Amino acid sequence: MGIQEVKRGGVMPEYPNTRKSEQAEGFQERLRQNMKYRNQEKEDIAGAESQAGKVKEKSGMGRIGAGPGIRVNSTALTEALQTVEVKHMSYEESDNVQIAVTEGYTLKGKIQGKEAQVYVEAKYEDGRLEAYQVDTKKVPEKTEHVIERFALETIEGPSSGELE
Amino acid sequence: MEQRWNYLVEEYQSMLYRIAFSNMKNRADAEDAVQEAFLRYMKDEKPILNKEHEKAWLIRTTIHICLDILKSGWYQRTVPWNESFATAAQNIYLPYQVKDDRTLEAVLQLPVHYRNSIYLFYYEDYTIHEIASVLNEKEATIKTRLRRGREEVKKILTEGRP
Repeated sequence: MGIQEVKRGGVMPEYPNTRKSEQAEGFQERLRQNMKYRNQEKEDIAGAESQAGKVKEKSGMGRIGAGPGIRVNSTALTEALQTVEVKHMSYEESDNVQIAVTEGYTLKGKIQGKEAQVYVEAKYEDGRLEAYQVDTKKVPEKTEHVIERFALETIEGPSSGELE
Repeated sequence: MEQRWNYLVEEYQSMLYRIAFSNMKNRADAEDAVQEAFLRYMKDEKPILNKEHEKAWLIRTTIHICLDILKSGWYQRTVPWNESFATAAQNIYLPYQVKDDRTLEAVLQLPVHYRNSIYLFYYEDYTIHEIASVLNEKEATIKTRLRRGREEVKKILTEGRP
C-alpha cells in the first residue's frame, strides 16, 4: 500500500531543488570522455609494450631523434660537444632547466669549474637519459644545435633557468 | 614522534603540495590532501623499506586522496573554488623557473591519468620506472600516457581545448 503510493504507478516523483538531470548529463559526458581516452590508451599500450625493454638507459649518442616528435635530432657530436657518463643530477642541483613537454624532452645544465664547460643531461620521453660535456668556448655564437644553445644559455646567466 | 613529523613535513611537503595542487587546482583542497596523506602515514606503522619507498607511498597516497575527493558525492554537488589555470600554474612553486607557463597551464587541463604521468615526468623529474611504481602501472602504460599526453598538450596549446 505504502509502497504503491510512493512509486506512483512506477514513475519516480520529481523532487524540487535537485539537479539530477544536469548531474547525469555531466556524468555521461565525463564517462564518454574517459571511455574515449581509455580506448585510445588500450590501442597504444599493445604497440608500446612491444617496444618496452628494447630501450635501455645509456650514456652516449646515436639514438637521439629516434622518438616521435623529438626535435633534438641533431646531437651528432660537434667539436664542442662530447658524450659523458650520466650523473643523475636533480633539478635542484642544476643551474639551468629546460622543460619541453611538447617536444618530449627535458634538459638540465650545470656549469663545471671555470673553464666554460657545461654538463648537460637530457631525458627523453621514451626513457633515455643522455649526458654531454659542452665546451662553450668552442660553440659558434649562432649555433642551431639544441644542446649547444642550451649550454650557452646556462653560461650566460640566470635569466633562462634561475633557481629560487 | 614529533621529530619524525618534522622530518616528513620538511622533506616532502613542497613536492606533495605541488602534486596535490596539480590535481585539485586550488590551494585549500591541495593542503587538505597533503595533510591527510601525512596523517595516514603517521597513523599506522607501515613496512617502509627505504626512502624511495616512503616517497613513492606518500605520492601514491596523495594522488589517491585527491582522486577520492574529486569523485566524492560532496565534491560533485558543490562548486569548488578552482583557480584559473593561469593562476594555478603560477601557484605551483617549482624549485626552478619555468619559462613557459602556458605549457604548465595546458598540462593542468589534461585528464587525470595523463596529467599525473606528464607532471611527474617533466616537472618532478621522475623516471618512467619510478612513475610506473608510484602509480602502480606498467612502464609501457606510462610511456603511452606520456606520448598521448604530449599530443593532448599540443592540442590544447594550438586549438585551446583538450
